[in-house]
Amino acid sequence: MAAIKISVVTPEKAVLDATADFVVLPMFDGERGVGAGHSAFVGQLGPGEFRFTTAGVTSRYFIDGGFAQVRTNTVTVLTAKAVKAGELTATAAEEARAVAEKLPATNSVEQASRQKAIARASAMARVAAKN
Amino acid sequence: MANLRSLVRRRKAIRNIRKITKTMELIATARFKKAFDRATEADAYTRKIAELAADLSKNAGEVSHPLLAARPVVKKVLVLVITANRGLCGGYNGSILREAMPKIRALREAGTDFDLDVSGKRGIAYFKFQQVPTTNSYTNFEDKPKFEDVDALASRYIDLFVSGQVDQVIVVYQKFITAAKQYPIAETLLPLSSVAVEATKKAAAVETTAGTSVGYEFFPGAAEILGELVPVAFKVRLFKAFLDAAVSEQIARRVAMKAATENAGDLIKGVTRLYNRTRQANITKEISELIAGSEALK
Repeated sequence: MAAIKISVVTPEKAVLDATADFVVLPMFDGERGVGAGHSAFVGQLGPGEFRFTTAGVTSRYFIDGGFAQVRTNTVTVLTAKAVKAGELTATAAEEARAVAEKLPATNSVEQASRQKAIARASAMARVAAKN
Repeated sequence: MANLRSLVRRRKAIRNIRKITKTMELIATARFKKAFDRATEADAYTRKIAELAADLSKNAGEVSHPLLAARPVVKKVLVLVITANRGLCGGYNGSILREAMPKIRALREAGTDFDLDVSGKRGIAYFKFQQVPTTNSYTNFEDKPKFEDVDALASRYIDLFVSGQVDQVIVVYQKFITAAKQYPIAETLLPLSSVAVEATKKAAAVETTAGTSVGYEFFPGAAEILGELVPVAFKVRLFKAFLDAAVSEQIARRVAMKAATENAGDLIKGVTRLYNRTRQANITKEISELIAGSEALK
């Protein structure tokens, strides 16, 4: 029986409402797995793959960073963008990388934004490569 | 026949206009419903962010973030005015620009330097006419603003504010309260005041509603997460401004087109009455001419 309730919310709409046995969150510093009865935490997410398994079937999404809240077997993911991993193509990831590398980097703030965009494009490429 | 043809032509033209305005009213009603639904979805996200902020600030205590800091000396202001691309929406564009112009005049008089960003062709045309120089203009925000586009704009504003090029960001838009209440407002979006305020309000609410408060672990840490949450809160607030503007525009267009349809209906009634009166007057004239003619022949 799927024990964990998942809810992925973006500013435009609630993308996902499902239940799962096991959830993997793309944290800012790596992946974190959440099973049933996990202790409560709030975490910062990085761009990467969001995976969850229900009765042996694994579903994958690309999450563009954000925040995750886990409490009482409910996982809530707040993100700017969430797409099904199957819909992400390697060409889209390459385009994102090209755009990111062309960003201006004149001061430290712009450099930080550019690095973030490049990291995001790399994460997209990784997720698309596993398709 | 005195002008009967022209009256018929006029009536036909008004009938066609009424069909168009009626259709526009129906389309605006449908678009309003969709825009309202989008605003409601964004509300769910905003509430979650506020809830997170409340939980975090309970654990992190006072947080200082460059986006929250009010600057004592305001050397440069960025004003964003959100108007519609199309007209036929009643007093919508006019009321927003009437809210924006005094603000701009006040900035000019105070000698404060400002950048003007305008969204919507109506606003762009107005400021061109008023000869107020526009720094950036956007026409891609229609009735379905995408978070990606607003994200790009918000990131730019954050960079400008943090790097010190801009000391204050003000947004002028039509705020949506209910379907019957919208009004133009000039809101100061940066420095952000209410992540902390909302947090304390929501914290009080959470304490009273949920008896047990959850003991969270924070990755990496409550203060760091709160530091990342503040820009996200700002982006959502800017997105909400665009959503509100879109909903208000559709309501204004619906009201204006409804009034136009009713006016057209009244005009048609008037022209019909005039047509019938003219027709009867012509018949009476013909008959009286005939009788006068036959009397003369007697």
